[in-house]
Amino acid sequence: MIKHHPSEELLNEYVEASLPVSMSAAVAMHIEMCGECAAKVATLTDQKAEACFEGIHSKFTEHDDIADVVDFNFDNMINAITVNDAIDEVKSTPKTTINIKGKSVVLPRAISNMPTSSWSNIGKLSRSRIELDEGKVRASLLNIEPGGSVPEHTHKGFELTLLLSGSFKDDMGEYVAGDFIVLDGEHTHQPVSDDGCLCFTVSDDAQHFTQGINKLLNPIAQFLY
Amino acid sequence: MQLMSNSSNNLKGSSDRVVTSNLSKTQTQSIPRKMNNKTDLAQLTLWLEQIAKDRNKQAFTEVFKFFAPKITNICSHKFNNPQLAGEVLQETMTNVWRKAHLFHSDKGAPTTWVYSIMRNVSFDILRKIKSKKEDNLSDDIWPLIDSDNSSEEGYDDHLENQHLMAHIDKLPEAQQQVIRGVYFMEMSQEQLSKQLNIPLGTIKSRLRLGLAKLKQHMGADHD
Ligand SMILES: [Zn+2]
Repeated sequence: MIKHHPSEELLNEYVEASLPVSMSAAVAMHIEMCGECAAKVATLTDQKAEACFEGIHSKFTEHDDIADVVDFNFDNMINAITVNDAIDEVKSTPKTTINIKGKSVVLPRAISNMPTSSWSNIGKLSRSRIELDEGKVRASLLNIEPGGSVPEHTHKGFELTLLLSGSFKDDMGEYVAGDFIVLDGEHTHQPVSDDGCLCFTVSDDAQHFTQGINKLLNPIAQFLY
Repeated sequence: MQLMSNSSNNLKGSSDRVVTSNLSKTQTQSIPRKMNNKTDLAQLTLWLEQIAKDRNKQAFTEVFKFFAPKITNICSHKFNNPQLAGEVLQETMTNVWRKAHLFHSDKGAPTTWVYSIMRNVSFDILRKIKSKKEDNLSDDIWPLIDSDNSSEEGYDDHLENQHLMAHIDKLPEAQQQVIRGVYFMEMSQEQLSKQLNIPLGTIKSRLRLGLAKLKQHMGADHD
């Protein structure tokens, strides 16, 4: 059973699209697996929509009238839109399957169209970057083969691990697919995956380049972000 | 606020009843919706269905008149950029016109559907501006009800990264391992030393050598 969920605040920001893309994708993948949070998001979306379109917009009344802010010609716009009767057909999304260490995994829809780097391997760990160009916020897929452990990190920023498949455990308990685990920099536990797992991770701090390396890498880093 | 009263004349009958009938069955937690007398969800639903079935321009005009001033208002204040607000408005309403057949009233309120479109459109447009990305990821991250128009374009802007990977592949194995460990595994040199069972000093020198070589290769390509 999923025990770790995004906070109410994160769900709210997801609905408003005010999170980094990688975090929005993480929440999207969680709610695909978690009915509880999916229901919350549906309710929050209704509430936002209601506030936008059904309220009386009291907060705007102090501002200039719309006409002063913009001068769109609504009639022209309506004509321009309706001049073409075509509709957008529903296309079926091709599923994206990745092969990693003999496993074949269908990616969740939220990240299925995101470009990824090829896999890098060290021991039982493999990582593939998800290339979103979000500066310090970086996302990746992390695969751990049976018996491997999640590497300890040096940075102190925010870090999210969303378990996509498989499981891992630490002294706090066992984590299952769908668990949305947010770690602060103080955490030093080192989870172990007996049966292997695939995670989606997001971190917001590039300190894993220690300072000297960072300087050296700077010209290259431009190509990476 | 005058602009928003366009549909108010169409409001007849009990708004309470309208609200109840529009709440989707899938919403188990029913939210008490206080209806503004300027909103008639049933009427909006009807118009959307007319757009879908008959490509009815009059119905679209009504839907447009209801949403356009609000979208304009919201976006003008959010982006503080009239041109951008206009772009979001046009793109959102174009989607409403072209995707009305994907709206199903039993799956949610028409306002929620339009809100979702507006949010997705804003997201893609902002990402295009901020990150110069035209990857249109919004419909993957916030799937619209029954809608599925994910783009199959935009895969090939990773050349730089592929490029870097190719260069890493050319390094001696020992240097590759350390660079991959630091960059892709996000491990510290100390952790890497432990993991690989190699003295820290060796890790440091391999990293230094590897990065210097990489920098040289990349620089040569880009000058
Ligand atoms: Zn949840």
